[in-house]
Amino acid sequence: MTTVSRAWSRLTLPGKLIFTLIPLLAALTVGLLVALLLIGPFVWTFLTDNLPLVRFVIAATAVLLMSIPTAFIIIYMEMKIIAQMNLRIGPDRVGPYGSLLSVVHGLKVLVKEDFTPTGADTPVFTLAPVVVYLGAVMSLMVIPFAPGLFGQDFNIGLLYFFAVGGLSVVGLMMAGWSSYNKYSLLGGLRSAAQVISYEIPLTLSVVGLLMLAGTMSLNTIVLNQSGSILDWYIFRQPLGFLIFFIAATAEANRTPFDLTEADSEIVAGFATEYSGMRFGFFFFAEYVGVFIVSAMTVTLFLGGWNAPFDWPWPITVNPDPGSLGILLLILIGVVPVLSTLAFAAPFWLLRSNMPGWQALIIGFVISNLVAVAAVLGWAFISFDWVVGLLWFMLKTYAFVFTFVWMRGTLPRVRIDQLMGFAWKWLLPAALLNLFVTAGALIVLNR
Amino acid sequence: MTTSHEGPRLRQQSQDDPRVMLDIDAGAFEPVPPYPPRTEREAEFYTLGDGEMFLNMGPQHPSTHGVLRIVLKLNGEQVVDLDPVLGYLHRGVEKISENSDYHHIVNQLDPLEYVSALFNEWAYVMAGEKLLDLQVPRRAEYIRVLSSELLRISSHCLFMGWFALDLGGLTPVLWSFIERDEIVEMLGALTGARMLFNYFRFGGVNGDLNHEFMSRLGSWMSRAASHVEANTRLLNENEIFVRRSRGLGVVDRETALRMCMTGPNLRATGVPFDVRRAHPYSVYPELDFDIPTRSEGDSLARYLLRVDEIKQSLRIIDQCLHQMPDGPVMAKIPRKITPRPGRAYAAVESPRGQYAIYMMSDGTDQPFRLRIHDPSFLHLQSVGLLMPGNLVADTMAVMASLDPVMGGVDK
Amino acid sequence: MDRALRRRLEARFGDRLTGPVRQRHDETEIRVGPGDVPDTLRTLHDDPSFRFEFLADLCGVDTGLVMQVVYHLWSETTTDWLRVIADGLSRDDPRVPSITSLWKGAEWMEREAYDMFGITFEGNRDLRRIYMPPDYTSFPLRKDFFLADDAARSPGAGVRHQEQTHTPRNAPPGRAIRVAKEA
Repeated sequence: MTTVSRAWSRLTLPGKLIFTLIPLLAALTVGLLVALLLIGPFVWTFLTDNLPLVRFVIAATAVLLMSIPTAFIIIYMEMKIIAQMNLRIGPDRVGPYGSLLSVVHGLKVLVKEDFTPTGADTPVFTLAPVVVYLGAVMSLMVIPFAPGLFGQDFNIGLLYFFAVGGLSVVGLMMAGWSSYNKYSLLGGLRSAAQVISYEIPLTLSVVGLLMLAGTMSLNTIVLNQSGSILDWYIFRQPLGFLIFFIAATAEANRTPFDLTEADSEIVAGFATEYSGMRFGFFFFAEYVGVFIVSAMTVTLFLGGWNAPFDWPWPITVNPDPGSLGILLLILIGVVPVLSTLAFAAPFWLLRSNMPGWQALIIGFVISNLVAVAAVLGWAFISFDWVVGLLWFMLKTYAFVFTFVWMRGTLPRVRIDQLMGFAWKWLLPAALLNLFVTAGALIVLNR
Repeated sequence: MTTSHEGPRLRQQSQDDPRVMLDIDAGAFEPVPPYPPRTEREAEFYTLGDGEMFLNMGPQHPSTHGVLRIVLKLNGEQVVDLDPVLGYLHRGVEKISENSDYHHIVNQLDPLEYVSALFNEWAYVMAGEKLLDLQVPRRAEYIRVLSSELLRISSHCLFMGWFALDLGGLTPVLWSFIERDEIVEMLGALTGARMLFNYFRFGGVNGDLNHEFMSRLGSWMSRAASHVEANTRLLNENEIFVRRSRGLGVVDRETALRMCMTGPNLRATGVPFDVRRAHPYSVYPELDFDIPTRSEGDSLARYLLRVDEIKQSLRIIDQCLHQMPDGPVMAKIPRKITPRPGRAYAAVESPRGQYAIYMMSDGTDQPFRLRIHDPSFLHLQSVGLLMPGNLVADTMAVMASLDPVMGGVDK
Repeated sequence: MDRALRRRLEARFGDRLTGPVRQRHDETEIRVGPGDVPDTLRTLHDDPSFRFEFLADLCGVDTGLVMQVVYHLWSETTTDWLRVIADGLSRDDPRVPSITSLWKGAEWMEREAYDMFGITFEGNRDLRRIYMPPDYTSFPLRKDFFLADDAARSPGAGVRHQEQTHTPRNAPPGRAIRVAKEA
């Protein structure tokens, strides 16, 4: 044993890692293969029998994973756009035009010190960001991104959306209460009051739309708006759209209704005592919330993934790679090299001090981008879900831009003005919308 | 509860052993002082009524105007009472001045109201000139007025931006800072420094106008009016801003006079008291300008008044440039300044109010007593009167509308 | 320099003044005893011929022999600043009646005078320290205040190296302090 221990002590750290991990990995692989052989067939039959379950799991995972890049994009957009409105530049060092700054922020919150303040209620304190983030991400499940591209098509999808949106209130209250901090308490109470007050106009404003559509399934609502741009519900429910937009701004805690995190008054509101990834959860949840309310507005009132106009001419592209035969292999080998050289040539010729390898790299990147654009163009033409997704994203990001614009321009309202506005103006307006729609339906005997 | 004598020991212990922090009971985090109340007001403030709680807007806060601590007594979100605690920026300038030569003190008085530093120097050199019985050359007086009015515009632009920031708008502060940056660069070309100028001297100023200053001033003046118009339009026509600030922190005439308020805060209540007209100094009697006054006394009136003052300052600058006489910029003074024994009081109209220096000299080259009277000190007193009944969110808005600068408050 | 003001002051307050009415440049100065301060200021505030409604400044002064409290007032009726000096406060226990009943804004200025000099304003509801910490024992602007000795006595002693006395300076009790020379 002494020889083994002496040999062990003479190993460096990487050596030690290798000698511990490799036997472990080997054992795990063997165990996995054995398990697969034994129970594999049963799992396979189970999965093939429950394909909807498989689809749901994959969709939920995809939605959860896609929420983070979305948050990154929206954070970057906000920083850049507000900077331009402030006559500043915004991030421009990390990555081209500062676009990688969000990623760096995400990595930063992962490595920050994670502490719980003295006196805080630790289980509640730890769970609060999870609840808030869940409340945001779960509502992404029902949003129809494109024909056939949605998490799950509930027939009470809209109700599910409102219910899950209310879950984040619980999370904010948990954060405010468990932080053992009066600022957090004020922030949490303000947020609870605000979200609860604005939920009622929010839900009432879409009841008119529900009466028109006859269903709560979001997919069906979007399908009802296919046809022409005039079928979009915004033209039939303009007041409902307006109320929904304002109430959704309050639900998402965005300026001018962002008192819960008002920097100038209560430091950071409910998130004062949070740091590291816990604060990252709140941060991401807010921006995912912005995406969600934009997506919901687009889905309900602006036709979802429907295009506002049709292509005036039909384009069909039917490439058939298999018919090329051996020429395909030659093309795969030759075309990338040729395109790299072709795109590198102008840079190398026109810029005298650019080294050759740099021009080649630029050429390679550009040729990749061109190839991706070509594939996307073909997908756009051939698959209707690509078209739908593109239009949906365009419209949603237009609304995200509007939210960011409002943040850059408007000051904040006070809590009593906010509640007064909700209860005295939005609620009667929503009720008015409801009655007028119901009356019109009865009169027109739909 | 620990007394302050145990304070350092406890901190030292906790550096070695973090577990000691857990022994501090919940009461240690309350902003209540650790001794029984010593005055009536302390007793009245630090006893909690039904359902009330203390909230400490401490010296570290994203939006107090400097290091200021405010202890709020809240009933939910409503402020019942508030107690500002000062002294976090106290530098003992008055005591230091008693040991400094008269020349050095000009530099020490700059960081008091650091936003508008020339007014601090102006009151001091005026008091010194009274004790030295000096006559300041007219060109120097005009340069003093010119640079001070530029600084007044800069300070009011800062106020506009900060007021909007405390209400939640991110954009106006950056737009106002463009104006401020240009003015500060101008004054940097003139005086050599961007913020703490050290420019005025007994008997004049430290240097004549130069070419760079005049060219910057000329190009700025051509755009100034339209820029200020654009900046104010951003806020004046904003419904949320107007709703937040109208009727907020209303001060009436009698209260303002009783609380010894001065400057725009007093003029917004209807009292047309401006030191430049009430007790004219320098060359202001020769200049033609109005004293804007409003009668509502709320935050919106104070904001609009300062915007009007910017326009009046532009008028004054224009007249200064046209009427600038030639001549020396500094009177002849001895190297070692020994004023006659006596007392002198000089007041100027700074962007915040009446800024005054009361100087006692005993014939040596160091002042015997230098008393600095700062307007923001008295305005902070009034916050306690204006807040009860309002919400927490308005605390910062009211304070911002009174425009305090903690450097002057704490001296 | 307002001669008419001087005559009116001498006529009205002649008996209470402890010195002549002095005028220089645009300032008029009167001196009264500490007990006469509230009456004098109230008369100056209310009387229609004076109408000194504006308190411009309130401060304490330590002349080395006595303490003084100096008030500066302004009125629409005259072009001068009026300086009222409450003279003759003892340096051991200076006491002056407070004028917070006339001007509430004087409260903090009196607090500052208390904090810096130790002058007790009787009738001020809130006479506690304003700049220095509440447990500070010295009065900084007094002429017999020396920082090194004070730091050695204060509770904050020795915490930061700036407050360590690098050269021991034990002030002997009869150390000379600066005394004002009045013109």
